[in-house]
Amino acid sequence: MPGAHGGDPDDLTEAQIAKKTLLGMVPADSPFYGYHPVSRMALLVFLSVTPLFIDMPEINLGLILATLVLLRWGRVRMQQVRRYLPLLATVAIFMFGVAFLAPGDRATLTPFRLFGLTFYFEPMWWAFVSYCRLIAMLFGAILYFSTNRERDTLVALRSLRVPFAVSYVAALSLRSAGMFMEDFKTIREAEQARGLDLESMSLREKARLYTMYTVPLFAVALRRADEISNALFARGYTLSGRPPGGGRRTDYLRRKYPARARDWAASAALIGLFALVVVLGKTTGILSDHLSPLRAAAAGAVGLR
Amino acid sequence: MSASKTVAASGSAEVIWTREPGERRQPGIVHVVMLALFMGIGIVVGTLGSLAIPIGFVSAFWPGQAVQAVGGVWFGLWGVLAGMFFPFVSNALSGSAPLPVSAAYLPANFLQSFLAGAAFRWLKADPRLRTTRDWVIWVVVGVLAANFLGAFWGTYVLAWFGMITQSARVTALLGWFFGNSIPSLIFGSILLKYVSPMVLRSKAFTKGWWA
Repeated sequence: MPGAHGGDPDDLTEAQIAKKTLLGMVPADSPFYGYHPVSRMALLVFLSVTPLFIDMPEINLGLILATLVLLRWGRVRMQQVRRYLPLLATVAIFMFGVAFLAPGDRATLTPFRLFGLTFYFEPMWWAFVSYCRLIAMLFGAILYFSTNRERDTLVALRSLRVPFAVSYVAALSLRSAGMFMEDFKTIREAEQARGLDLESMSLREKARLYTMYTVPLFAVALRRADEISNALFARGYTLSGRPPGGGRRTDYLRRKYPARARDWAASAALIGLFALVVVLGKTTGILSDHLSPLRAAAAGAVGLR
Repeated sequence: MSASKTVAASGSAEVIWTREPGERRQPGIVHVVMLALFMGIGIVVGTLGSLAIPIGFVSAFWPGQAVQAVGGVWFGLWGVLAGMFFPFVSNALSGSAPLPVSAAYLPANFLQSFLAGAAFRWLKADPRLRTTRDWVIWVVVGVLAANFLGAFWGTYVLAWFGMITQSARVTALLGWFFGNSIPSLIFGSILLKYVSPMVLRSKAFTKGWWA
């Protein structure tokens, strides 16, 4: 059977074959796939949890930049990431708006004037610190879900010897999310083919339409639950993951993705770095925002020592 | 596999939750599969709901709560587990909250899933919302109480992570409560009314907490 471009499928290079992740498509020759799924999960833990222990915004801004570089290096289409721009703007407006409107006990805060309005330095600065931290954590998760399929998560969990029921539920839930998103798209495209214009709809109409989509999704889920559980039963699966006759079930996926020394070294380095940040953050003040050059500059600008 | 019987579509509310003589119900693969599929639906509903109206960390429109509540009603603790864990993925995909913030939301997600399921089981209400009593239990416990407690804990988390100031907590709580209650009421009621009859006939429905 000819390939999409009319040639033989064997002629396709690796770069022309894409892997479908929860957030889009990534070329199969993305450098990320050179690493074992466990290493990629370690990167998720590092990027999405480490900022929690860092108050200095310069470091978190650096982590955001590093994540963007990794997304580009991993050949993720930046269009996939651009969909988060409105969210980044609304979150910033929300956080700085709250710090402006409800700053706390004004008598203990440092006021400054900007655009004819009175702001208070401490809540505005803390909003900035928290915003950088949250966006850094968020981008870590976006990177993971942009570059990993549910199969990668399953392999990582199995390699870490997570119990069968837990790894199965995690993988099937991610897989089914992908399936339901496809179902959702199919329903919406069918409506658009019949003249549905989402652009001209109000928020209220969109919300109502969205509610109507979910009823068939639930009906499909009930049917799938029956089909999948019957299939599992027929193959002798049990909740423990052990065959009914005893012994151990062969793990095809884990055998297909052997971890090399480089993968374990990368994972250990990331987890070690994460532990170091936690220890430094908890025991010393070197990750504190009080040492931030940006804070010094901002405080100087508003006349705060 | 579970040897559970499915519930007759015409049964009264009392019959729905009561085991028949000789009826054997035990957790089976179908419940684990339903847990995973329900998490999948929650991920889609939570993600698309947040992306449709991108307000960010404060969920001014989050129909995911309706999925949490109906999950507890239909699938007992399997639904509660799904309701607790699907926001980890849906919040990350939609950009609503990073993983550590989602972890901090866990107690709120537990309450939002558990309360409706507990009320329907203990008070023997009909998930198909056939009487005024069923509606009152659903609206008061499943929507208002669940969302108030969720908002109470959620705004504490927002303040803890520096997303709001302490003095903005009450305003954020009210915004969260009303913003979440309205889609939950509309969306959850539609699901209970129109999907419950199908769920009651399925093997995945749980009369007790686990089966």
